[in-house]
Amino acid sequence: MKGCSKHIQQIAEYIDGELDEALCTRLEEHLKECNNCRIMVDTLKQTVVLCREGKRERLPEDIESRLNDALKNKWEKKFGKKS
Amino acid sequence: MNEKELIIQAQSGDFKAFSRLIESRKDKIYRLAMKLTGNRDDAEDIVQDTLMKAIDAIDKFRMESSFGTWLYTIALNNIRAHAGDKKREALRPIDDYLPGSHSESTSKELFDWGDPHQQFERKRLNDMIETALAELPLKYSAPFTLRYIEDMPVKEVARVLDLSLSAAKSRILRARLALREKLSNVFREKNNERL
Repeated sequence: MKGCSKHIQQIAEYIDGELDEALCTRLEEHLKECNNCRIMVDTLKQTVVLCREGKRERLPEDIESRLNDALKNKWEKKFGKKS
Repeated sequence: MNEKELIIQAQSGDFKAFSRLIESRKDKIYRLAMKLTGNRDDAEDIVQDTLMKAIDAIDKFRMESSFGTWLYTIALNNIRAHAGDKKREALRPIDDYLPGSHSESTSKELFDWGDPHQQFERKRLNDMIETALAELPLKYSAPFTLRYIEDMPVKEVARVLDLSLSAAKSRILRARLALREKLSNVFREKNNERL
């Protein structure tokens, strides 16, 4: 990837679909010839895919219930019991 | 009722309006805090502190940003306060993550991962990702998480974190390169075991 470091920001924008069309075409030309940059595109893409696949954490129900009570108390201290 | 109307109602003391504003965001703040601290107890405290502070400040909210952006800003300040004293590795400049681009290094050739799902079970992959993310300094993991896990546009990431657009882009990229490298090392090791 020697000499390809100038492409790295473009590669990131390319993967995210944010690179303008002319630069996209030029980068795709480069990718045809550069195996390392192709691997970089593929592995950077997979990095985000794997991160997105992670657990979709939810606040545990018992915590949420206690939180709601605490928020209501705080609210009533601030605004009084009008709601 | 739209968001603006709910905010006005909440500012006049309507708890139900406030509850509706935070309803879908409680889990998002919890998830963000879990990703960035890697600790369930911290994440629970952060959600509570964030929403308590939001109650304190709701009447000062001037709708100059969306309610969600405002809430994320409070949450990130709380996350910084919780994570502040934990030591994390510093990230290197972008060029240092590119093989052959510095100090005549030829040892770090790029490695084709293949399909990570064929090498590791989903749970193991999730654990690896969570550990890798929690090890990054917050100044990098926060923009990365907001951008790719919360699907926030880069401009909003910059706004929430009070960064210029170019600084936000640069931090997101460095986090992505650092995570890529961490995963690459694990996949390479796994691959070598097989040979």
